Amino acid sequence: MGNSKTVRFKIKRQASPAAKSYWEEFELPRHSGMNVISSLMEIAGNPVTRDGRTTTPVTYDSNCLEEICGSCAMLINGKARMACSALVDKLDQPIRLEPFSKFPVVRDLAVDRSVLFENLKAVKAWVPIDGSYDLGPGPRLTMQDQEAAYPLSRCISCCCCMEACPQFNEETNFVGAAAISQVRLFNTHPTGSALKRERLSALMGDGGIHECGYAQNCVEVCPKDIPLTRSIAEVGGAVMKQAIGDLFRK
Amino acid sequence: MSATASPSAPFDVDEGVSPLRAGQGHSFLLRRIHSLSGIIPVGAFLVEHFISNAFATRGPGAYAKQVELLSGFPFVVGLELFGIWLPILYHALYGFYIWYRGESNVAEYPWTGNWMYNSQRWTGAIAFFYMVWHTWHLRFSGIHILSHPASAFGKVQLEFQNPLAVAFYALGIFCASWHFAYGLWLFAAKWGITTGDAARRRFGYVCFAVGLLFMLVGAVTMYSFLSTPLQRLEPGVSGAESFVMK
Ligand code: HEM
Ligand code: SF4
Ligand code: SF4
Ligand code: FES
Repeated sequence: MGNSKTVRFKIKRQASPAAKSYWEEFELPRHSGMNVISSLMEIAGNPVTRDGRTTTPVTYDSNCLEEICGSCAMLINGKARMACSALVDKLDQPIRLEPFSKFPVVRDLAVDRSVLFENLKAVKAWVPIDGSYDLGPGPRLTMQDQEAAYPLSRCISCCCCMEACPQFNEETNFVGAAAISQVRLFNTHPTGSALKRERLSALMGDGGIHECGYAQNCVEVCPKDIPLTRSIAEVGGAVMKQAIGDLFRK
Repeated sequence: MSATASPSAPFDVDEGVSPLRAGQGHSFLLRRIHSLSGIIPVGAFLVEHFISNAFATRGPGAYAKQVELLSGFPFVVGLELFGIWLPILYHALYGFYIWYRGESNVAEYPWTGNWMYNSQRWTGAIAFFYMVWHTWHLRFSGIHILSHPASAFGKVQLEFQNPLAVAFYALGIFCASWHFAYGLWLFAAKWGITTGDAARRRFGYVCFAVGLLFMLVGAVTMYSFLSTPLQRLEPGVSGAESFVMK
């Protein structure tokens, strides 16, 4: 424990994707309301380690600073979470910051999370164009469907659910909870459901929904409280229905 | 996304997890067969096995009759092979493969679901080694129970002469009950039977009760073997007979 007037950080650094990682410690004056991103900003303003060496500023992703853009996800004291909403007062010291362990490191705390984008493309997580001319207003969502869909639409693509999932790794190449939940969102949409069959078929591929072992870490870490385990169960049921139906139809 | 920093060594750069191979491959089929095999036939056999053995509570005579009934089934070896041994072998070997490919992280994320995820692997593995030992001793060596049902009770009792064996039976019953009960819950969640959070919680209580019931039935059955005076095996029958044919 540092003295209570200061805050200590242990940060895992890596200069380039191929470089070796190493740890550096920093100590900052404590003030009220500071969070991990504001601390990283202070370090960038004065990049000097705890033992007085000048170093490079720590690279990290961030944008909105209000847990809505999804860019600042990292491992904070070992757990996947958003750095901008991680209040320093509530964290054990020294605060350990590491890049996500299952995504390629770009530099320091910044990682390449494009696998989620690829997965969203693979499951066609969009509403297709239903005509090349004005068809008038689209079909309405029922109140119940709106209420089920809205929480799913809050996903910020932070990838916390994937980082924390024991099944998401280079052995399984599991698609992860976020993309499965987006399948549920777009299958609920009256126009989006035109691609329903294709989305469910996609999830039967290698790395698909069957790789989930239902450890439920995803729903625990999701910063937007998205009901991911419910989505996995619902989409899992729809996938099974389609798979069994296809045994007779195809 | 293009990496920004120096283009030093392109090798040993971590590639990360690959994207979904939409609609490609056979892992879905193999994994769903694994999932289903846990219920049918392996789970169904487990239920039958616990019920049949519970006949021990009604004495050696009733137990012998139940063993006789089972061994009198037509195609009994075929039923055993395709209904029990091969499905268990598939479920177990693919289960180890699933375990190997997962990356346990309860140290970082010590939550109930994550502990249960791990417990499903450990109880499966312990049950597997227990079953290998148990079938070797009772089915594939010593007096042949299928052709000598009257000696079945005594054969189990002889097994129980060793306190370590009794302990291993208790552990095996505990792990199989746990694994089956949580397996029921997992199956219902994954196959979209219990989709709602409340439904999953409610079914969790049901599975908890099923697990307890199995452990209780197992314990009472074990007690019957331990508390009944040692039964003699049929005279004139020694071990080492053909174990396949009746
Ligand atoms: C007593 C015999 C057994 C029964 C009745 C049984 C039953 C089940 C059931 C019903 C499931 C749930 C299905 C699912 O999660 O997809 C399951 C899952 C599982 N079983 Fe078994 N099982 C048995 C033996 C074994 C053995 C010997 C192993 C070897 C390690 C094993 C490994 C697994 C694994 C790893 C899972 C979890 C799969 C996942 O998380 O996706 N099981 N089992
Ligand atoms: S339930 Fe568990 S295994 Fe499934 S996606 Fe979530 S964390 Fe991964
Ligand atoms: S589902 Fe939640 S944890 Fe996963 S990417 Fe979306 S917001 Fe992040
Ligand atoms: S900076 Fe946007 S979520 Fe943290």
